[in-house]
Amino acid sequence: MNRTRWIFVAIVAVAVVIVGVSLLWRALRTDPGGQLTVERPEDITVRVLTALPVEPWVRAAADDFNGSGPELDGVPLHVEVTAMDGLSALGRWDRNDFGALPANADVENLTAEQEAALEDFPTVWIPDSRYLVELANASYKERLGRDVFLTDGQYRARPIAISLFTWGIYESRAQVLEDAFAEISWRTIHDAAVAKGGWPELDGEASWGYFKLVVPNPNKNAGGLAAMIGAAGEYYGRTDISVEDLTDPAFQAWLGELMGAVTDVSSASAYTAEDFALFGYSVGDGGQLLESDLLQNMQGILTRWEDPLVLYYPDYVTWFDFPFTVWIGPETSALEKNAALAFQDHLLSAAQQESALAYGLRPANPEVAVDAATDSLFVKWADQGVEPVVPRADAMRSPNRDVLLALLRWFELNVVE
Amino acid sequence: MRPSTAERRSPARGPLWPWWSGRSASQRSCALLGIVIAALLCLGCLVAAGIAGGRLWNNATGRVQEEGPTAWPSDSATLTVAVSPGMKDVFDGLVDDFNRQGRSTPDGNTMQVQTMELSPQEMVDKSLRMPDFQALAPDSSLWLNQLERRWSALQEEHEAADGEALIPLGNRRTGAVVRYAASPIVIAAWEEVARDLGWPAEAVGWEEIQRKATDDPAFKWNHPSTSHASGLLATLAEFYAGAGVTRGLTEEKATDAETLAYVQAVEATVRFYGESEDVLIEQLAAEGRGFLDAFVTQERVVVSWNATHGDQRLVAIYPAEGTLWADHPLALLTSGADEMPVTDNQGRVFHALAEFLTSRAVQKRLLEAGYRPADLEISLDQAGSPFAGSDAVDWRQPETTLQIPSASVVEVVQNVWWYTKRPTNVYLVVDTSGSMAGDKLSRTKEALQAFVSQIRGDRDRVGLIEFGTDLKSTDPLERLDDVRRLELAERIAGMEANGETALLDAVWYGHERIQQTADREAINALVVMTDGQENASGRGVSDLVWRLEQEGPVDIIVFTIAFGRGADEALLQRIADAGGGQFRRADETDIEDLYRVISTYF
Repeated sequence: MNRTRWIFVAIVAVAVVIVGVSLLWRALRTDPGGQLTVERPEDITVRVLTALPVEPWVRAAADDFNGSGPELDGVPLHVEVTAMDGLSALGRWDRNDFGALPANADVENLTAEQEAALEDFPTVWIPDSRYLVELANASYKERLGRDVFLTDGQYRARPIAISLFTWGIYESRAQVLEDAFAEISWRTIHDAAVAKGGWPELDGEASWGYFKLVVPNPNKNAGGLAAMIGAAGEYYGRTDISVEDLTDPAFQAWLGELMGAVTDVSSASAYTAEDFALFGYSVGDGGQLLESDLLQNMQGILTRWEDPLVLYYPDYVTWFDFPFTVWIGPETSALEKNAALAFQDHLLSAAQQESALAYGLRPANPEVAVDAATDSLFVKWADQGVEPVVPRADAMRSPNRDVLLALLRWFELNVVE
Repeated sequence: MRPSTAERRSPARGPLWPWWSGRSASQRSCALLGIVIAALLCLGCLVAAGIAGGRLWNNATGRVQEEGPTAWPSDSATLTVAVSPGMKDVFDGLVDDFNRQGRSTPDGNTMQVQTMELSPQEMVDKSLRMPDFQALAPDSSLWLNQLERRWSALQEEHEAADGEALIPLGNRRTGAVVRYAASPIVIAAWEEVARDLGWPAEAVGWEEIQRKATDDPAFKWNHPSTSHASGLLATLAEFYAGAGVTRGLTEEKATDAETLAYVQAVEATVRFYGESEDVLIEQLAAEGRGFLDAFVTQERVVVSWNATHGDQRLVAIYPAEGTLWADHPLALLTSGADEMPVTDNQGRVFHALAEFLTSRAVQKRLLEAGYRPADLEISLDQAGSPFAGSDAVDWRQPETTLQIPSASVVEVVQNVWWYTKRPTNVYLVVDTSGSMAGDKLSRTKEALQAFVSQIRGDRDRVGLIEFGTDLKSTDPLERLDDVRRLELAERIAGMEANGETALLDAVWYGHERIQQTADREAINALVVMTDGQENASGRGVSDLVWRLEQEGPVDIIVFTIAFGRGADEALLQRIADAGGGQFRRADETDIEDLYRVISTYF
């Protein structure tokens, strides 16, 4: 072989090597688990896992936020909202379904699978109540040895709106109950629930059948647990409920009779107030539900059933404060965390706090009054018993993990089974 | 050529050595360069081959997944929805409109929805393990609850107990659930029947219907099997009445001997069970007023019927004791372990479909179809609404509902129903003439086995008549216990195709044998299948039709099936008409499904 041929072969070989190496380079660059990833993303996605009662408002706020073309350090932001009941989300955090990294994970050298698994990891969780954050945090602290949600500092959980549990009862039925018992409370509802003759025994219509109580299924809606804790508070006349209280046979018998008036716990969806409106008094004469849910569905109830709801405020109230909670673990980047704070600022802005009124939510910002907006549901439904200022009442303390598990277990054994 | 001395002395140096040693320095340099280049060339090829191989491996891995029974590409934007039979036609129309919109996913795939018809009970069964659908639309949330209960039990079996008390929430088979329509379950009755029962002045309930059916042998009513919400509700109402309660039905009360005796007595008055409400409507249209006096169905059926049959009006009776809602959920399944995951795109299609179904325009279409829209801003009594200005349906009703027992009690009721329902005497009349040879016979055998497996009542009797040129075998009606099931399975497996087609003689024989039982307590039926033309019977068509139309000791319903295109459909239609039953067509792809459907009538 002469020199010219050797040179030709050499050129071809070098070209092949260049192509091979460049292919290898590209393969490594596109491999999400590779080490050659760029640090500055093209855009930032804030994944918000939100409780159901605030989801419509949060979603609308996210649309507004996204529409304004937000940026952080020159990088475009985008907020994605996923609805999930607070208790269901807690169950998923508890089982680590979202895939938080183990304590000993080498964060700087994640595998491709680990990187891929974190693509949908929530940046923010907005549960129904702060106690759910505490329970999730306790679970992770045991598992990882550190907090994953903070209670102070820049990334602390901050309420974005508030609401409380009130009685919502169809007006025709409420009048009969008031005539019979003079007040609406868990005690009188219990008496109505155990009336063997049903509504006729209470001087109501025979066609109404038995008194039917609406209680959300706690497996699907955090409100169900809140309702049962409120009932326990009134039964014992105090705000702090223990596992011993819940396991008292007399209380369990009382609660069992109360729950016996629930028409359909087993298949109830998470959207209890919406069901209440869709199926009307046929499935429930009344129940203790979240004020914002009741207000949001009031118009639907009037459109579909004519008989409006009337709201009554209980002596022992349970509040939901919908804390905006940023995950501080290494599963999300610093940019994502800071982008989450930008969205939090948007939710807490006066404009968004006023828009929350149209969803029946009380503003977290105390400077925004409940009648600050013309479309405030607190103004629209004032005649149905909604109070701008909640009457003086005792606030129930949040349940701890043992109380929560005891109630869920009781519900499973005595109502679902 | 002989080897040189050096070669002989240094065999380890190899055959190139003489060449190397015999070259000049420049030649050696060139050769060395060539070797290096060749090595680099090999390295480059290896790298490229490695990358290509890796990709091929990845692709191969994907193909392995796709070869399974429930396979779809990882970026699939085609969502398959299992739909209950009563909603299928309406749902398909809406899905067509959705598909026509040509929506796209962010990665450019076209969103597509396809549907498959399954009874709600079948949806639950199939959803537990590698279903070939990603979303389901049963007629009631009851089924989703049953699915979750069974799914949860399966998970508990699979998960190792680690002693830690985890919060038992959020681990569900269904993810997002959207409700797009609702319709209460009612007792639909002809107007004069309803008035006879006391409507509209008096409250009419399950008790009145059950009493009427028990007291009046001429009263004909029907409810679907417990595989549908309306059938399940009717059965639940019977159990409540039998137990003497209107709430708090427990397993003990449901299985109490007195309760079971009551339910059995009421069920004995049911003319037959059945499949979807739309088929029932077709039969009402075909047979008219005399077909049934009353039946349990969704309210929307009454609206739909009255919209097209002004001369004979149905009235919706909202049972005084309470009813149940068919609430039409659409649920997206979550992926189980070892299953093809529901793709991100399929999730997007689900949400787009849910948004479409709950849009104002679609909600109004559902109202026109007789459903109550999930959109609460749509008033039912507005101008143009089928609920406005009619007393046949009442949007203010129902005033109360029966308490839905826990999923475990519902399952008990479903199981116990098989032992209380009206028993069945059914002859399977099967053509095994020569034209059935091959795939047809194989598929028929599978279909017959499926039919037998669907019949679960302990008082049901099944017989088999196999015909060709004449009656090849006539297996008597016998109670379907475990021994009988094995016998039938063997008989079915042993069937062979040969001979001509003595269809009329076979039907005659089966009819005669059932009449001889004189069993008026049972649903008596013939299920006749043929793929060809009658050409070997001793009896004529007129004789058989005359025989079927004569009043005998028992009423016998005749179902006829034309298998393939060669069957004499006109003859089969005539036989079905004379026997008060139905004529159906089938081919190799759906013969098994058809036998399954027919089994729901028993």
